[in-house]
Amino acid sequence: MTPESRVSFPRLAGFGGLVLLMLGAVAVPAFAQQAAAARDYGNFPLVGGRGAIWIAAEVHLMFAAFVLGVPLFAVTVEAIGIFGTDKRYDKLAKEFTRLLLIAYSATAIWGAILVFFLSTLYPKFWTYMSTIFHVSMWVYVGLFFFESFTLYLYYYGWESLKDGIRKKIHLGLGVLLNLWGTAVMFIADSWLSYMMSPPPQVSTDTAPETIRLWSAMANATWMPINIHRLIANVVFGGSIVGAYAAYRFLAARTDEERAHYDWMGYVGNFIAISSLLILPFAGYWLGREIYQYDQGMGITMMGGFMSWLWIIQAFLIGVLFLAGNYYLWVGMARIPGAERFTPYTRWILGVLVLGVLVWSTPHTMIASRAEQAAMGGSHHPLLGFLGVMSAKNTAVNLMILSTFLSYLLYRRANKRPSVSWARAATRVQAALFAISAAIVIFFGVYGYFVTAIVRIGFSVYQVLSVIVTIVTVLVLDVLMLRGAESRGAIRWGQMPARSQYALLVLAVTFTWLMGLMGFARSGIRQHWHVWNVMRDTSPWAATPALGYASKMISVCVLIFLALIAIVFWLGGLVEKSTYAPPAAAGAERAPERELAIAGGAD
Amino acid sequence: MGATNLRIAAVVLGTIGLYTVVCNAIPQVESEVPREMNLSGDVTPEQLVSAGEELFNGAGGCTACHGLGTRAPNLLTDEHGQGTIGARCGTRKPGMTCKDYLHESLVKPTAYVVPGYQPIMPDMSRTLSPAQIWALVAFLESQGGEVTVSAADVKAAAPAPAQGVAPAAPARSATTDPVALLRENTCLTCHHLGSEGTTIAPPLDHIGATRTADYIRRSILDPNADTAKGYEKVAGIMPKDFGERLSAAQLEALVRYLASRK
Repeated sequence: MTPESRVSFPRLAGFGGLVLLMLGAVAVPAFAQQAAAARDYGNFPLVGGRGAIWIAAEVHLMFAAFVLGVPLFAVTVEAIGIFGTDKRYDKLAKEFTRLLLIAYSATAIWGAILVFFLSTLYPKFWTYMSTIFHVSMWVYVGLFFFESFTLYLYYYGWESLKDGIRKKIHLGLGVLLNLWGTAVMFIADSWLSYMMSPPPQVSTDTAPETIRLWSAMANATWMPINIHRLIANVVFGGSIVGAYAAYRFLAARTDEERAHYDWMGYVGNFIAISSLLILPFAGYWLGREIYQYDQGMGITMMGGFMSWLWIIQAFLIGVLFLAGNYYLWVGMARIPGAERFTPYTRWILGVLVLGVLVWSTPHTMIASRAEQAAMGGSHHPLLGFLGVMSAKNTAVNLMILSTFLSYLLYRRANKRPSVSWARAATRVQAALFAISAAIVIFFGVYGYFVTAIVRIGFSVYQVLSVIVTIVTVLVLDVLMLRGAESRGAIRWGQMPARSQYALLVLAVTFTWLMGLMGFARSGIRQHWHVWNVMRDTSPWAATPALGYASKMISVCVLIFLALIAIVFWLGGLVEKSTYAPPAAAGAERAPERELAIAGGAD
Repeated sequence: MGATNLRIAAVVLGTIGLYTVVCNAIPQVESEVPREMNLSGDVTPEQLVSAGEELFNGAGGCTACHGLGTRAPNLLTDEHGQGTIGARCGTRKPGMTCKDYLHESLVKPTAYVVPGYQPIMPDMSRTLSPAQIWALVAFLESQGGEVTVSAADVKAAAPAPAQGVAPAAPARSATTDPVALLRENTCLTCHHLGSEGTTIAPPLDHIGATRTADYIRRSILDPNADTAKGYEKVAGIMPKDFGERLSAAQLEALVRYLASRK
């Protein structure tokens, strides 16, 4: 097989997916209009119409999140390689991009499946949506076309655009790829956010032909969802890359390969966890917009039949925090000098476990009269105390602070600062941590003694104190460690296998969490296709309980992970690892200059 | 490598399995679709109460707020020594029977907001049929009070069969006295004027000093067109049907009056 014939597979698959998608988006509305005249809903064997749409939409979304998230940090890593003159980053960026190449085709194929399912299983609804959004659907297809070609140019032009100004042009292609991808996502988000929050003047009697496209697109939840997804995609992409690196690490035959994939796994995990820390803030914004748009919808989301969903979410995020920290602590064993920080990890673990327990404590439960009587009121005494937002916000903020402390210890493990003010700066850092924790706890306790409206405002002070601490401490650390002496090079590759399984758990949990949040976003519409505008009259209109939803989510996750495993295997066939053997890599080792992303630079 | 692959598969499947088991171990609550109930004809009060209880605990979604007592009054337990909702509903609004008060609370929830709570309740006529709303009223009356809803209420609420003649429009007050209009249309439930009303929505006392007549007219006819600063939380609460409720003369009288309140 020639190199050309080997690279032709993803290209062919990509074009195949693209053609399918274009066929779906352009041809199907007309077909759907004919079908709608005959029936409102179709059926699908075994899982029914809703089940088929659920799987197609969720798997498409998982692939889409991956192919939108990976370019975001691939281009960032490439830029670090260019401006930091460290070629390891450039090679890493190329390997990231190779991972997404075939995944991109899978995204398009699942998108086409979704469109065909929508038009055949929900023809009336599809006609309604395409009547309003058909112009944006055409634009979407056009942008997808540009995005595809930019991706191919970006990946296949890597070697021919590797020097001088051509390298900058290549970086520009990466930026352009992200712009196309973000625009595509924004358009798709406008469709689903319209279903959640149609403009207030739209009612059941409003003819879809009379609804202006922009007023439908620029609805109340559009931008919060855009931002939330943008960040979540980076988190998701980072975790999947981390899982890929873990798999390759476990399968590696040489120490060099293990060292490379150990480092790759670290970078993927770093990106995932650091982006995860800012995701809750975007989530709060989205939640606030939902409440402002429709209090009833907000209450259904947080306190109605979905109240238990947030307990499960807390449990999953708890797993993410614990697994992410565990990976860092295990990784410290390969860093000379890290042993001096080992005693601190048990305290951090204690804070994290307590935080997860508090965050996972339910508060509002739908209870019958008999159950309320048995509890002695509408709340269980203990749950009523720990399950309120004062306790949960305190727990979450302390968990974020603890995770940041873990990262800081990891980062400083093999460094000996050489600046004269290092001791004073370390004391300032410690004081900042203590003050921030005190502020978080103070407002957490004070929240029990004020009204709900006042209490909600306290979360802002808690979040601000944590953000200020993280930024200030990190800036101090970067300045302090400039020119620091090394206590010894990081022994990349000398990681126990259990650390790699932690990366796999992180990836599976992120994927499952994405499925759960998709159910939450879609489920709060209850029996409405479009909230209070278009009622779902299908046999599957009732929103299922979490047990059924969890089975559907698990099926979607399994399909996605099985396919992504095939994608990675195909990627391995296309090109061998970009890892450079030691002889060649010796000249390319990271300089002593500190890069925040790499932790210990060695 | 085979053993490694098996271990990876075990970790992945174990993690997914754990989450699925946990989700199936917790209380399972489904959001039901409000189903049409055959309550017309000779339905008995007992049948209405039973149907109302089913709605209250299920598709009506009432328990999300009214089952807690924090977001909205708990209807099934005593509140401030006034008893359960069936016992206290007759004294909420002077001159209004328990049945009328409960019905108004469901279809016009901002007409009266219990002190200490926010006007967050949606208009239930958007999601429930008239018969279902009467069933809910019957159930709530049964919580410590006497059920007065009857088949006649359900029958009267049912849509009239098409006979080629348009049903008579509800009687509308002909007054053009702006203050009377404000009272009749329950504006002062949320707005404040003189010694009346509340401050849930912007006060009307000096509204003419900052707003033009055109702005006031638009705010009455299309309340969502603009939201006054500081009142974003109650955006969407104001009814949108004043264009149908008011005659042109009444609307203009109201606009002139409010614009003159400097």
